[in-house]
Amino acid sequence: MSKIGTTFNTISDFVKERFPADKLNYHSMVEKKEVPVHHMSWGYYTGGLTMFFFMMQVLTGLFLLFYYQPTVSDAHVSVEYINKYVAGGALVRNMHAWSSSCMIFFAMLHLLTAFAMKSFVRPRELTWIAGVILLFITFTFGFTGYLLPWNQIAVNATKVGLQSVEYVGQYLPGQLADVPRILRETFQGESSVGQSTLGRFYALHVVILPLALAGLLGLHLLQVQLHGMSQGVDQAAKRSEKFMSIFVFKDLTLWATVFLILFVLALCVPFESFLPFPLLAPFNALGSTPAGIKPEWYFYFVYYPLELLPFWVILVASMVVVGILIFTPWIFRGTSRRTLSFIALMAGAYLVIMTVFGEQIYQFFKH
Amino acid sequence: MIDILLFIVLPYLAVFICVFGSIYRIRTAPMTYSSLSSQFLESKGLMWGSLPWHLGITIILLAHVVAFLVPGFWQSLMSHQSVLLFVEAIGLGLSVLCVLGLIVLGVRRLTSSKLQAVTSTMDLVVILLLLLQVGLGAAVAVHCKWGSSWCSGTTTPYIWSLITFAPDISHIADLPVLVKSHIVGAWLFLLVIPFSRLIHMFAVPIEYLVRPPQNVVWTNSRKWASEENVFADDETRRHFVRAFLGITFGGFLLGVGTFRNIFLFFFGPRLSRKEETELMELRLARLESTMDQRKLELERQAANYILVCKFSELNAETGKYFIDYQMQPAIAFKGKDGLPLLISAKCTHLGCTVGNDVDGEGRILCPCHVSYFNIETGQPNAEAPAKAPLPHIGWVIMDERGKVLARRNTDGRTEGTIAAEQQETARVYIAKGQEERA
Repeated sequence: MSKIGTTFNTISDFVKERFPADKLNYHSMVEKKEVPVHHMSWGYYTGGLTMFFFMMQVLTGLFLLFYYQPTVSDAHVSVEYINKYVAGGALVRNMHAWSSSCMIFFAMLHLLTAFAMKSFVRPRELTWIAGVILLFITFTFGFTGYLLPWNQIAVNATKVGLQSVEYVGQYLPGQLADVPRILRETFQGESSVGQSTLGRFYALHVVILPLALAGLLGLHLLQVQLHGMSQGVDQAAKRSEKFMSIFVFKDLTLWATVFLILFVLALCVPFESFLPFPLLAPFNALGSTPAGIKPEWYFYFVYYPLELLPFWVILVASMVVVGILIFTPWIFRGTSRRTLSFIALMAGAYLVIMTVFGEQIYQFFKH
Repeated sequence: MIDILLFIVLPYLAVFICVFGSIYRIRTAPMTYSSLSSQFLESKGLMWGSLPWHLGITIILLAHVVAFLVPGFWQSLMSHQSVLLFVEAIGLGLSVLCVLGLIVLGVRRLTSSKLQAVTSTMDLVVILLLLLQVGLGAAVAVHCKWGSSWCSGTTTPYIWSLITFAPDISHIADLPVLVKSHIVGAWLFLLVIPFSRLIHMFAVPIEYLVRPPQNVVWTNSRKWASEENVFADDETRRHFVRAFLGITFGGFLLGVGTFRNIFLFFFGPRLSRKEETELMELRLARLESTMDQRKLELERQAANYILVCKFSELNAETGKYFIDYQMQPAIAFKGKDGLPLLISAKCTHLGCTVGNDVDGEGRILCPCHVSYFNIETGQPNAEAPAKAPLPHIGWVIMDERGKVLARRNTDGRTEGTIAAEQQETARVYIAKGQEERA
């Protein structure tokens, strides 16, 4: 009995510390909040930028929703229609594409800086975990959205992606070996990537994922406002500035600048200009797969190793990384920010190198 | 006659008196070269009157000046429908702002006892004249729409004829009385400048926007206590002016560019007949290909045999794609034994569709992760990411009457042969139950 009582007390203490009721008011969450000023301060803007890009995604996504049709016969035509005929359609679609990449870039940067600044320690564990899940949701957004234009690269990359899930089955014992296949079929909906897959991905992309992301983002932001900014550097910062309204206005100024850049970028450089045409042609179920099927750049860091190394190595490595990410608040509790910065820098270097030079590394080892 | 008086004599007289009168006044009474400030006496009404009035009239007057001085540039701007729309709309909005400001200023002059002491008759005349002139301007904007465009053929050449001393009133002779009154009002307005507080407009207080705030306050103890508030109010007003200018300008840009396009986005495109036809054809073609796909599925559920192709169409170098019983792609070749060779085209690695061109070593390539499959054995090359072989598929050859000539079963056994004379008419099928990999 007493043991149950102790467990209960532990849980309730945990919750009380993460959701301090006395701080649940405008005064302590907004008016009193201060943002430390130090050499890592720029890291405080990365989260806001990620949210800004998410808002851009919601806005441009709603615009696209007016014309996009999620059926195998009409999807590609409707996307072409948006590009070719709808006033500002190409711009909106292009902004959606650029902004999605930016959102993922800044989400990853945000994770690395938060890690380096040790922003995950007590009482901010929930913020961190919610953030990690948000990142995974963001990746899923990218994966599901990639299919919707229903062109060659979209369908074939999705086939490869889903098939990789099934590949996991061979490492599982007995009945469990079937689970990945069942999982793939659930998402695929039919024997091959087709109308059922498109419908499912569409539902995920425009309703389920946005709702999930918005909900978690609410928790994430509530925690950030409740507990305030983390100290960020080992020696306490000498100076700090008011969150309201100094930091907020700086944030807004940055958003405005970034919006301008995004707008001009979307106006001038079509996101699809990085792909050769055959990959953008409508998917043809009866033809062969064109050469050069690749996922989006933000999956390169796992795609190229997957091409080079045995599947089980990647599987084990990614499980370890996910485990570390989720349990970071407890694993790195005692690590100094210097060491954390070093780890973050190394991880960042790996991501940059694999993304920028992945192709060359792949060619080098394959030939 | 009266036209010559109003539109030639009056303007020259007005400009002459305005210029020389103003110079005379600054030389004889320089201290009066301002609009005697009354903020000291009454500030609340002033704020709600003076600010809207000055914001409105400054922008409107600037627009008039630009339109008259650089007519070419102005006209090129106004030739864009959306720019014209917004100039008109903003102009009308600002004139309403001016009228409201003037009314507040007038009421303030008439009702505040402190102000009564410093209000001259000329002040009231000025307010009345301005009210009349702005009202006329607004009326012109309402009744004779698109003035910002038609001015380039009427009032602009008229003004230029005055400037170049070749007065020509034919440009404005046929304008409505409303417009003519507005023009006369403008000359009268010039005329009274040297005799009234209006002279202050020659001292444009541009540095007000950037200089540190100054404030005139009563020096009693009560005011001292609220000094901070007074300065805060002053700062607020300054921010308000800047923000208003910024928002007007930004709003103009937004209005011309973004909102119009956002509206058009939702309004949807209006296609030409040709574009509409092309689009319809494209949609139909896509629907048909989806239909074909569905028919294939249905056929595979119902039929015992599915036609792959004519036997004579088979080729050893380039395979023919078909869809097998599992709705997966497969390829038909002619094998070394002269019989069909049917092989799955779904890569055993991650499910891409394998190419149908046989290379020099008798292999086909999956382009996704570069696996070469030998079509005879189905085996991938040693370095390939694919490990399992591509399965072969059983087949049946029938003549045109449906008589089975030869078949290859799942176990790879071949029965029957095909005679040379039958090769032209024979067809290759896949059979239900034989779809298991041979």
